[in-house]
Order: sequence, then structure tokens, then C-alpha cells
Amino acid sequence: MATHVADGSERANIRLVPNSLDLEDRVRLLRFMLLMRGVEDRAMHLYRQGKVPGSFYDGYGQEAVSAGAAYALGPADRLCVLHRDLAAHLVRGASVARILGQYMGRSGGFPAGRDANVHFGDRELGCVGMVSMLPDMMLVATGMAMAFKLRDEARCALTWVGDGATSRGDFHEALNWAGVQRLPVVFVLENNQYAYSTPTERQFAVDPVQRATTYGFPGITVDGNDPEAMFEVTRRARERALAGDGPTLIEALTMRMHGHAAHDDMRYVPPELLAKWRERDPIALQEGRLTDEGVDVAALRAEVTREIEAATEQALAMPMPDPATARQGVFAVGEAQPLGDGRAPWSGFHPEAPHA
Amino acid sequence: MSSLPTDASAVIVDVVMPQMGVSVAEGLLVAWHKQVGDWVLADETICEISTDKIDTEVPAPASGRVVELLVEQEQTVPVGSVLARIATDAVAGDPHPDEQGPVISRVTPSGPPPAPQRPSPVVRRIAEREGIDLARVTGTGRGGRVRKQDVLAYLQDRERADGPAPGESAAPPAPLHIESPYRDEPLGQPLSRMRRTIAEHMVRSLHTAAHCTSIMEVDMSAVEAARAGRGLTGLAFVARATIDALQAHPELNATLEDGVLTRHADANLGIAVSLGEEGLIVPVIANAQELSVQGLAERIRELAVRARAGELRPDEVSGGTFTITNPGSFGTLASTPIINQPQVAILDLEAVVKRAVVVTDDQGDSIAIRPMTNLCLSWDHRALDGALAAQFLATLRMRLQDWRSA
Amino acid sequence: MPELTYLQAISEGLREEMRCDERVFVMGEDVGEFGGAFKVTDGMLQEFGERRVMDTPLAESAIIGAAVGAAVVGLRPVCEMQFADFVACGFDQLVNVAGKMHYRQGLAVPLTVRLPSGGGFSGGPFHSQNPEAWFMHAPGLKVLAPSTAEDAKGLLIAAIRDPNPVCFFEHKHLYRRIKGEVPAGAYETPMTARVARPGTDLVVIAYGAMVWTALEATEDLDGASIEVLDLRSLVPLDTAAILDSVARCSKVVVVDEANATCAAGAQVAAFIAQHAFEHLDGPVMRVGTPDVPIAFSPPLERALLPQVSDIAEVCRELLAY
Repeated sequence: MATHVADGSERANIRLVPNSLDLEDRVRLLRFMLLMRGVEDRAMHLYRQGKVPGSFYDGYGQEAVSAGAAYALGPADRLCVLHRDLAAHLVRGASVARILGQYMGRSGGFPAGRDANVHFGDRELGCVGMVSMLPDMMLVATGMAMAFKLRDEARCALTWVGDGATSRGDFHEALNWAGVQRLPVVFVLENNQYAYSTPTERQFAVDPVQRATTYGFPGITVDGNDPEAMFEVTRRARERALAGDGPTLIEALTMRMHGHAAHDDMRYVPPELLAKWRERDPIALQEGRLTDEGVDVAALRAEVTREIEAATEQALAMPMPDPATARQGVFAVGEAQPLGDGRAPWSGFHPEAPHA
Repeated sequence: MSSLPTDASAVIVDVVMPQMGVSVAEGLLVAWHKQVGDWVLADETICEISTDKIDTEVPAPASGRVVELLVEQEQTVPVGSVLARIATDAVAGDPHPDEQGPVISRVTPSGPPPAPQRPSPVVRRIAEREGIDLARVTGTGRGGRVRKQDVLAYLQDRERADGPAPGESAAPPAPLHIESPYRDEPLGQPLSRMRRTIAEHMVRSLHTAAHCTSIMEVDMSAVEAARAGRGLTGLAFVARATIDALQAHPELNATLEDGVLTRHADANLGIAVSLGEEGLIVPVIANAQELSVQGLAERIRELAVRARAGELRPDEVSGGTFTITNPGSFGTLASTPIINQPQVAILDLEAVVKRAVVVTDDQGDSIAIRPMTNLCLSWDHRALDGALAAQFLATLRMRLQDWRSA
Repeated sequence: MPELTYLQAISEGLREEMRCDERVFVMGEDVGEFGGAFKVTDGMLQEFGERRVMDTPLAESAIIGAAVGAAVVGLRPVCEMQFADFVACGFDQLVNVAGKMHYRQGLAVPLTVRLPSGGGFSGGPFHSQNPEAWFMHAPGLKVLAPSTAEDAKGLLIAAIRDPNPVCFFEHKHLYRRIKGEVPAGAYETPMTARVARPGTDLVVIAYGAMVWTALEATEDLDGASIEVLDLRSLVPLDTAAILDSVARCSKVVVVDEANATCAAGAQVAAFIAQHAFEHLDGPVMRVGTPDVPIAFSPPLERALLPQVSDIAEVCRELLAY
């Protein structure tokens, strides 16, 4: 696997030609991205209607980073999902109604209203919900990978991390630990160019993907808006991990097309930059490809819209949590239940009977 | 001007330039008698002012610490201007906020306490309970304060002199009755394991469920007639009627756990069995709906025998969906049973007593002697409401009062 | 029954659990080859292998964060902070990731963090702290602090078996200074308080090394009968035992080796003031270390940490009140 070396002036996009996705997979990738965008769009409406308390964060324009990467993971793999990676939850099988209920703080949401809207994870599907301190979850993913290695299990852990979070100590502690112990962990660095209002020029003096080599393992930069490239590079990283070759840092180049959160008008982002990235929208890219293959994209969109509408109704019917339960659940009682397995829709995990 | 930092919750009182005369509009500050940080008592002179009418000393409006002086010497300000501010919740002798007070606490000796002295909570409590006049107790505490041992010693002496007061215990105050395995001398007899289990379950039930009890009077004549000569207990009839009522009102054949209400198709009927002094146990008749009155009677008898012999299996005391208890055989008329968690209701069958009751038929009202009993249903208000409980009891009563032998 | 030092008891507890539960493993700095800075894990690498006795990089945040990851996929990590003081580097992972996980997501985090705490041997400000209160204050963490060898073993086993994150404060100064009879085999000590010495006139409430200081100070104090209550568990706090002791003795002295402001003793004192008011025959007194970093030079350190004479003096004054 090639290690990317930045030349300082421009980042080369590695266009990987995936041969491991069949048409159904490629349609599913689009579907997950459409679902993510649609759910977040709906949530934003609900937010403006006062039904989503607190703030709301979305991953508009970054859908491929989570859809593509999560699509490469097996059911026994484990994920730490961040706030702009909704498609990862969807790939693993999280219920859309529960996600919307979660945003609205309803009792049917994953933590039943205990943690903020985007900080969720369905533990039964192998997803750990994030904390606000970033990139704390990198260490949790490292620890999960460590456990897999200690038990000789053919599984990996994967987490996303933002460009801003690469400045904090936990980023370095995680890369160092993963490198020195050669752990089966994949770090997806979601470089969307801005950490709130801080552009990358103020965040690091080197391309963060270079840091991987300094910690002893490869880093690779990829077009984060190409879901198939994201899938392929993650698949390879996973193979490396399962082969015992250690971690990989994948830098997914993308752009945060909306503000940091619903309350941010992102006036600090130059409009030309947004315009340039708008032309590379991941959903438009995938739709174009599939239309060329004769897929009825409009029908897919309509189906996704229907699914979201049905889920919204379900979510709106969920009651708010009972205040009497506010103090419950601080401590676990009885036997600790570990994370469960999630869905793994990639066709590569479900080999067909050999063709005649 | 100078000021002292105060916290937002400090109670601040302003010192204002007084109006010394109807036509006076302003005043001159002649001299400050206090500086920032000083303690001032109410009515103590805080400054001197001069107006064209009069020179005067200004008394402080309240006691406290001077936290701000806003006007300088020789400065003239309009009447009503704030001259200074006092923090009235400061306490004289408190350290300045910048000082670090000693943390290793000492009980500061402050000389004899001012009379009359307030007794400490425990001394007051003992004195009230035992009817002791504290003025007669010699205090050996600081400054002559009455301590707990003083009042206890007084009590002992009084007892020796008078003997224990009739009907009153002269024992030293009992500690809070909290079980502690670490005390050397346990008070009384520790509860047996079974009693402790029952105790825990009962307390937990009371703390978990919102207990209400509804009572229904039932005329048991029909049941008595059906029973006659068959050698079956009334309990078996009540059990069968209960099952029928549960089938008509399935909301009561339910369990409530962690906010989840589960209705059960089968009636797994728990029947409370007394084990005498040791306690009680509730064996469960699984799928009781399949049994006739006869079948129920036999099963109840069999379970009771095995219960008293300690031969019940774990699966025979679990999985219950509704419980019936029957202490009435000892003659009680009503009670408020405690729900057997996690069920939502429990039925208590009281004594059947011959009473004079009013009966109405097509001849009008008359008085008859009927065997009456009270069915007491305790139910969980979290899971259901009074109307439903009442309906259940009404169905149950109807079933019992209309009993025809099959 | 064998007599073990406090340190040996901890080692034995860890060993027992490692033997009977293969999910348990140790991770920390210098715990493997070197056997641990205090030799608690001496010999364990040889017995259990390097997968179960892991020498980690010098990274407290990573030690705890990785432990969280391992715990949520079914293992039972026992992390060692070389000194309790260094847990500050991993504070975020412990308080925000481990502590809040179950409340937020229903996901249990069965990890244990061993924390050699306490001063009294010229360790200076960064090797002498008692930071229990930081974690008492963080919802979702349990906090234990045994004072005897028997309890050290039993509470460590209880901590490892608990499905929650547990901070296990082992007082370094007790490691080799105290010995006791320790039952063989695996046993769990309940997370409750223990009456170290029963009494009637006054109760001194303490935990960790201060239990021994309190016992010494009140052994023979003008013939008074003084109870010493060893808290053992700070979260959960055994409020029933506290109320029981206060109800019987009516006079209370609460001792903290930690810096006094908002220390564990402050919580105990507040609780007593609210719930045992009617049983009090005097103000609730506290003896604690002032809010000063623990100094290195012996006369300074002695002036800061509560000494036998400090406790005795406060007890005398309260008895006389």
C-alpha cells in the first residue's frame, strides 16, 4: 500500500479503482449517503421548529467519508463514530426513527435523552457514542484493537478524527500506542478544512497524514468525497490490520459545507472555497456514476424520502423521557454486557454461490 | 475611590448623603471615620458632613464591613448620593478574603457562653423525652455547658432515686435502628435470613409501587352453598373467580419492571402460605386458568404442605403474575396487603362473618343474615387507575355472588 | 491464617483474580519486566505472560482510554497509575469517557484503576497526593480506599468484579508498614464502612492511612471511649454506618489526609450536619491537610499532614465541649 508523501503545495488524490464493489454495493453506498443527508436535513427542519433541543451538527458534504469507510467493516468490527459520520450508524443498521428520536431527546433515542443529540451509538450494533472532548475516542478505538490483538481475533476497530483534534495529546498518544503495539486499528482523519472557525493552516505545521509514518505506520490521503475510494482504502487498511500489520491513518480530504453547528453561519469560510467543493459533492458524484449504469436514481431518492418521513412520524410519536428516570443508570448492575455486532452489508462479506 | 471585592451574594447597604433641611440640595464630606475594610456597627459614626445648614456626623445605617467609599474628603455631592457601601453579612473578626485561614480546625475557646445557653440537639431531645428540666442538670462541658453524658448521668441518678417512671423506659437513648454487622453488642435478636428477605422485599415494594387499596364487600352465600359438602376451601373459589376476573380485566394480570408493563396470557397465581413465626412464602400455581375449583383446591393444599416442609423448588416460587393472600382465617376484616413485586396487584381475602345486611327483592327491602367478607385489593397506581381496580373487584364480586355449582 | 503486608495483600488479590478470570489483565508503566514501581506486580509477567501483564508507553490518558476500549469489548483491565498524582494526565478519559459511558449509552465499563496515593515520606507535591475527591465528584466512578491488608485484597477483588469503573486508592505509606491476617483464596469485601474500634464518647471518621493515625491518637485519650470508623468505600459512601456511629457517639471528628477543601471529609461532615443533627452534642470537627501542595522537606511535610497529636488535640477539645 502506497504511502503518501505531501509535496507541500498540493495534495494528490489517489483515485483507487475498486474492483470489490458490485452494482448493488455501489447503489447501497449512494443510498446510505442519501439517507444521511435526508435525515440531517429533516433534523435541521425540526431544529428550526424547536423540536431539537440544544444545538445540531451535521456532515453535509462529507457523507462519503463515513458511508464509504463504514461499508468496509465486518460485523464483529467496532466503531467510534463522530458527529459528522451519521452514515456509519446507518450502515451498521441503526434505526432512523431512533436517530431522529435521539435528536429530539425522546425516550426512544439510544441513550433516552441522556447525551446530546449527535453523541450517540447503538451499543448493540458495535458503535460507541462519542464524548465532546476530541479525540478521546481514538484511545477507546485503540483499546478495542488492543483487546482484539490480545485475544488473536480477526477483527479491527475504526474511528474517525477531525483535523482540529489532531492537535490534542490523545491523538498522539493513540497513534503512538497503536504504532508501538502494531494494533488492528484504522484511524480515519476527516480533514474537512475547518475546526469550527480555525482553518488547517492554524492547526498544524505538517500534513497530519505524515505523522503516521513518524509513529511507525503508513498514512494515505484519499478523496473523501468519493465513497468508492473511501471504501477501497478502508478495505485495504482493514486487511492490513487483520493480517497483523498494524494501524493505518487514512486522511479523507473533504469540506465542511455547513457551519460548525446550526448556530454558525460560517462567515469565515471563503465563498470560493465552498463553490469549488460544491462541484465535488459526493452524492452528485455517485449519482452520476450510477445513472451512467442505468440505475433509477430518482426512484431511490423517492424511496429514501419515504423512509425518512415514516421514521419522522415514528420519532415524533415517541414520548419525552420521564423526569423520574433522570437519576437512573449511573452505575451498571450485574454482568457487564460488551458491544454487540452490527450489520455489514458489503457483498464481500456474503459470498454468493459460485457462478455456473 | 477604593473598594473591597465582594461576592455577588453579599447584602449591600448604601450610606447616602442625608438631607439636613428642606432647602438643602448638597453636602460636603468633611472626614471619613472608617476606611475600606473596617468593621462598623449600626449607628456608629461613619463620616462627618457639612451642609449650609448644619455640620453633622452620619451614623452607619447597618452593621457590617465597609466595602466601598465613593466620595473623597472635601468633595461636595448632591443630597441622596451614595457615599459608601457596607456589606452587612460580613461577620466581625472574619479574616480578610485574601487571608488563608487555618484549616486544621480548633474548637475556639471563647470564654463562658452567654446565658441562657442553647442545649445541643441530642441533649434537648433526651431532656424532652424524659421530662428533664435542664436547669437542674449540672453541666461539665465548656463554660458549664450541659453535655450528653451530663443529662444521661442526671437520668441515672433520678432513676436510682425514684425508680423508673411508670410506663417510661429509662434506658439511654436508643441508637438509630440501623443494622450494623460491626457492632460488638447487637441490640436484640438479628432478623433471620427469611425475615430479612421478606423485609427487604416488602420495603422495596412499598418504595417502588404507588400502593392503593380498594375494598369490596362480597356476599358469600352462593359460594357457601356451592362449598357445602364438597370439603373445599373458600379460597379455592375465590382463586377461580379471580382467574375469571383477570381474564376479563387483563390489565391486572401484569408485571411492571423498569417502566415496562407486561401483560401475561397465563394466570400464574401466587398463593401466600404462612410459615408461622418464620415468615411466609408464596408458591405459584402456573397456568392456573386451566384448573377448576377442585383442581385449584388440591394444588393449593399440595403447595402449602410442601411449603411448610421447605420442599418448594425455585421455579415454584417465581413467575407469578398475581397473588392472593388469605389471613382472614384468623378473623381479620380488612387489611392493606403489600404488592408482590413485580406484579401490579394483590388480593387479600378476609374473614367471612355473618352479618345483618339489607337485601332487595321484588318484595322490597328486608334484612337478612348473610355470610359477608371483604376483598381487599392493593394495586399499583403506576400501572392502573382506581376505576379499573374497582371494575375488577366488581367483576370478582359478581362472579362470587352468582356462583352456581357446575 | 497467613499474615501479609498491605502490599502483598494487593498483589495476592490481583493474582487470585487473574487466575480465575482470564478476562482480567494488568496494564501500566513498568509493571511487567520491572514488576512495578512498588513491586506489586512482581513475578506476574512470568506467571501470566506479556499479554496479561502489559508494559505500556508513558501515557496515562492512553492507558485509561485504551482500557475503556478493552472493557467495552469484554475484557477486565486493571490499570496502574504509577502514582495517584499522575491520574491527572488521564483525568479526561476517566471522568468523561469511562465515568459517563453507562449513563449515556447503557454500556458498562468494567475497569479498575489502581492508584498508589498518600504522603509521609518526602515524596513532594507530585508523589504524595490524595485525589479521591476529584473522582467522588464525578458521576459514574466508584472510589475505594482500604486501610487494612485484608480489606485491600477483598476490595481490589470486588473492584475488578464490579461492572463499573472503580478508582482503587492504595495508600503507599501503608504498603510495608502494616500487616494483617489475610484470608487465602478469592473473597470480596463489601463496599461498606468498618468499625475499626467501637466506642461511645466520640467517633473519629477516617480512611486510608489516617485510620491508623486516628487509632493511635485515640488509643488512650484520658480514658475516653473513642470509636474509629474506617470508611473504606467513598463511593458508594456507607451513610448508614456513619449515621449509626454518630447516633451512638454524638461527637464527631472527620479526618482527611487530602487537602481539606471539598475533601471526602467535607462530604461526610455535610451529610452528618443534615441527617444526624438531632444526635449531635457538639459541632462536627474536621482535621485535614491545609490547601497547600505537600512539601518535600520533612519538617514542612509534618506540619501539613495531620499528625497523631493533631487528631488527639481536636478530640480532647471536642470531648470537653
